[in-house]
Amino acid sequence: MAIEQTHTTGEVVEEVSHEITLFAESIFHFGNFNITNALLSSWFAVLVIIMLVIILRKKLKEVPGVLQNIFEIILEGALDLCDQVTNSRKLSMKVFPIAISVFFFVLINNWLGLLPIGGLGIIEKGEHGLAFIPFLRGGTADVNTTIALAVMAVIGANLFGIFSIGIWKIFNKYVNVKALGQIFTKIKKDKTVIIVAPITFFVGLLELVGEFAKIASLSFRLFGNVFAGEVLLASMAALFAYILPVPFLFLEILVGVIQALIFSMLLIVYFTISATDHEEHGEHEEEHGHHKENIAVS
Amino acid sequence: MESIISTFHIDWKIIVAQAVNFGIVFVVLYLFALKPLTKLMAERAEKIGKGVDDAKKNEAMLKATKAEYDEMLAKARVEANKIFQEGKKEGEIKKSEMIEKGKVELASMIENGKKAMQADKVKAVEDARKEIASLAILAAEKIMTDKNKQNK
Repeated sequence: MAIEQTHTTGEVVEEVSHEITLFAESIFHFGNFNITNALLSSWFAVLVIIMLVIILRKKLKEVPGVLQNIFEIILEGALDLCDQVTNSRKLSMKVFPIAISVFFFVLINNWLGLLPIGGLGIIEKGEHGLAFIPFLRGGTADVNTTIALAVMAVIGANLFGIFSIGIWKIFNKYVNVKALGQIFTKIKKDKTVIIVAPITFFVGLLELVGEFAKIASLSFRLFGNVFAGEVLLASMAALFAYILPVPFLFLEILVGVIQALIFSMLLIVYFTISATDHEEHGEHEEEHGHHKENIAVS
Repeated sequence: MESIISTFHIDWKIIVAQAVNFGIVFVVLYLFALKPLTKLMAERAEKIGKGVDDAKKNEAMLKATKAEYDEMLAKARVEANKIFQEGKKEGEIKKSEMIEKGKVELASMIENGKKAMQADKVKAVEDARKEIASLAILAAEKIMTDKNKQNK
């Protein structure tokens, strides 16, 4: 989609197009490093978060002020939500700092894309004449940002799993050597193991593929939603620039919160799954089942 | 894959830059907001818990003290009543004793008075008798003297 403007410079009248691109546009170069408008927004978001933290740190008192109160309410609510996923306060306390950081980083980036200062930018000569490139574009409206977050979430979850239940168990989750070994150890006891074990091994490989799917789903879900919001706002502004985009702005504020919440909740889910010993859990359930059966028989 | 990379302009340098951005946010939030705030909230919760415990303890102590006070008050009342009764009884005994003593003393005083009066009476009679005798002797002497004078 393109919004066309008329740019008058003396006698020459040239058309400046403002296309909403799928990618973040480059504003300037630093050597061979392209500084995109999304990266600039992210730096701005980091600055905003640092400023908020400094203000909060300075005003930290035992009897809380307004800002501290708001932050405490968010913190307690988020921690309770985290508890509902992890079912353990101990685990929540470990995952929570990462999850809340992701939440604030995504949220501020989402909201920065809604600011009207996106109207400030530079005019560059592109393939199809002059093109307007805004200085700011929502950080999460660039797939590079969401991929960075998703990769960190998935790698972080696996590292967390390694530290929680051990490298051998995590390795067996993907390359299930243990299941293959059971063919030799359990064949006399249970003949079906010869079919079950290769399937289990294959499921492990699928889990490995699933990790990449997680990266793709996390990054493209967030990018898609935020980018779609920006397109929607631009479309509404193109239809009628006054009042019409306002309800959609509120909608996008809400979408920004929801997407940040979804991303951080999924991160907590991945971390929790990774830190859970499924074998032990299964054995416990099996034992519990046997115990229940015994009680029923007796 | 190539088409995805070119369509979305996926650039590993920007991915790393964004990861660094998130890293900064995480470190700043964790060290300067979450850690001190969590600590502060835990300390406050501990203080509130301690305050509630202390209030409960104080209430229990107050109840115990009130019960003890009531018990002591009741005991003191009983004891005071006992002391009052004993005092009253003792006072009455002392009163009757004093009355008795007074009566005895009065009787002895009356007796002594009677005895003194009797002695005074005997003495007065004796004195009168002596006086009368000396007067009679004097009168007889005078009569005798007068008679002698007439005889002469």
